Amino acid sequence: MGFFSSLFGKSGDVICAPVAGKAVPISQVSDPTFGEEILGKGVAIIPSDGKIVAPCDATVDMMFDTGHAVSLVADFGAEILVHIGLDTVNLKGEHFTVHAKSGEKVTRGQLLMEVDLEAVKAKGYDVITPVVICNSGEYSTFKTQVDKTVAAGDEIIRLAK
Amino acid sequence: MKTFTYVITDPLGLHARPAGLLVKAAAGYSSAVTVATDAGKADAKRIMAVMRLAAKQGMTLTVTCDGADEEAAAAGLLEFMKNNL
Repeated sequence: MGFFSSLFGKSGDVICAPVAGKAVPISQVSDPTFGEEILGKGVAIIPSDGKIVAPCDATVDMMFDTGHAVSLVADFGAEILVHIGLDTVNLKGEHFTVHAKSGEKVTRGQLLMEVDLEAVKAKGYDVITPVVICNSGEYSTFKTQVDKTVAAGDEIIRLAK
Repeated sequence: MKTFTYVITDPLGLHARPAGLLVKAAAGYSSAVTVATDAGKADAKRIMAVMRLAAKQGMTLTVTCDGADEEAAAAGLLEFMKNNL
């Protein structure tokens, strides 16, 4: 941090893409819970791969037993929800494999869960994956990187209080 | 202080969407609102805390509203639960 890093826009904390795909504004998510930012600000990813990884060093706050969503608390304090697809709670865990559990300490890039994207799509679900910062209201700076292809681990959000 | 209980009828339980809507509804009141299950208690205005309850169909939620508008909060949140959970 410091003067020079803030001068070049590199200050603050970083949230990375939890999955490879195309990053888009969260307003593009058709479910208003996400699209209207009811849960907080964020970025959505249209995934091209089924491996979902930790977006930063964090503690798993709650791994949904259905494997379709996970909440994490970043080491720097951000509260993050990664929700794989829309209405996928209805699948009750089918096509999802969980690789981390609630309370577990994880490092950026660590595998959290896997999803069989083609199987979920074949059942008619939208697989767009919102990444929501539930306490985004606590941050004065919230910069997103959208409308581009990302690899898992690429920066998608930079925030500062 | 005003308290009521509600048994979840939604087969999917208190997943991300209803949790978000509940937080939004609770935030509309100045009263402090908590939601509790047998396993734990959450500040109803904090989404992560509400999701962590992992409340399922058939579980009883105990909602406590404490503050100037507790009567309206309890009535409004009971109505919310009937409509969404």
